[in-house]
Amino acid sequence: MTYQTYVIAAYMVFVVVLLWDFVAPRIRINQLLRAARLRIARGASSHSNAMPDIPHQ
Amino acid sequence: MNPVVRWFHQLGSPPYFDRFAARWAPWGYGLGTLVMAYGIWAALFQVPADYQQGDSFRILYIHVPSAWMSLFVFGLMAVYAAIALIWRIKLCEILAMACAPIGAAFTVITLATGSIWGKPMWGTWWDWDPRLTSELILLFLYLGIMGLYNAIDDRRAAARAAGLLAIVGVVLLPVIRYSVVWWNSLHQGQTIRLLGESSIDGSMVPPLVAMLVGTKLWFIGSLLMRARADNLHRESGKGWVTALVEVKR
Repeated sequence: MTYQTYVIAAYMVFVVVLLWDFVAPRIRINQLLRAARLRIARGASSHSNAMPDIPHQ
Repeated sequence: MNPVVRWFHQLGSPPYFDRFAARWAPWGYGLGTLVMAYGIWAALFQVPADYQQGDSFRILYIHVPSAWMSLFVFGLMAVYAAIALIWRIKLCEILAMACAPIGAAFTVITLATGSIWGKPMWGTWWDWDPRLTSELILLFLYLGIMGLYNAIDDRRAAARAAGLLAIVGVVLLPVIRYSVVWWNSLHQGQTIRLLGESSIDGSMVPPLVAMLVGTKLWFIGSLLMRARADNLHRESGKGWVTALVEVKR
């Protein structure tokens, strides 16, 4: 194949950029879901800490 | 109500859109990958080498579809932005802003692969040619829209400002398209015509069509995925996001 290095380099650029395009939104969604999970966990723990002591009868 | 109109109204609901995007994005990516895999295989191993350019012309099978995508995505982004500005449809704001990074990615591919092709064919990596320069300005516009959208905290105000920039930027599209006609250009003129005779040999067309379809399918997957991320970001703290996270636990 003539100009093989150029052809390979061009196709590598294409694949790498599309891989980034595939991975970037997935990372963002995972970050957002993790943040939501942490928010829920924080809310649950602060709620249980704020519960007043009920005297045993 | 007409089922299509009802579906369109449902799509405007953030939880419904999240489920829709999560369901259909993998199909866009999957089918896009399959069609592009065929296109790349045929471009590298099926079509004969060009009599003048040798095998370097195989670069055009990724350069040309990416260049078309860079213009198509910008046009679509401007349409979504116009709908969002006129009718204040939140989903169209999200879709418009999701277009920008994908369009920027295809513009980067266009510029990089064009440069790699230009070195052996023109003897230079870069030339301040009207087509190349206008495509570079398109990349800066994409980056400007993404930067503006991320610079303003209020998501809706940010989308409106960036959308306005997208609408104004549309004037660049005919400049890019006709730059090879209006000015003396190193870049070659139109090779493929939808109407009229193309100057490319018929045996070289099928992989190009496959790449054209494949990049469109990939774009659908990527658009849905990026829009889903922005939708989740805007809706974080809402009940349906909490429910979604608890279901995934």
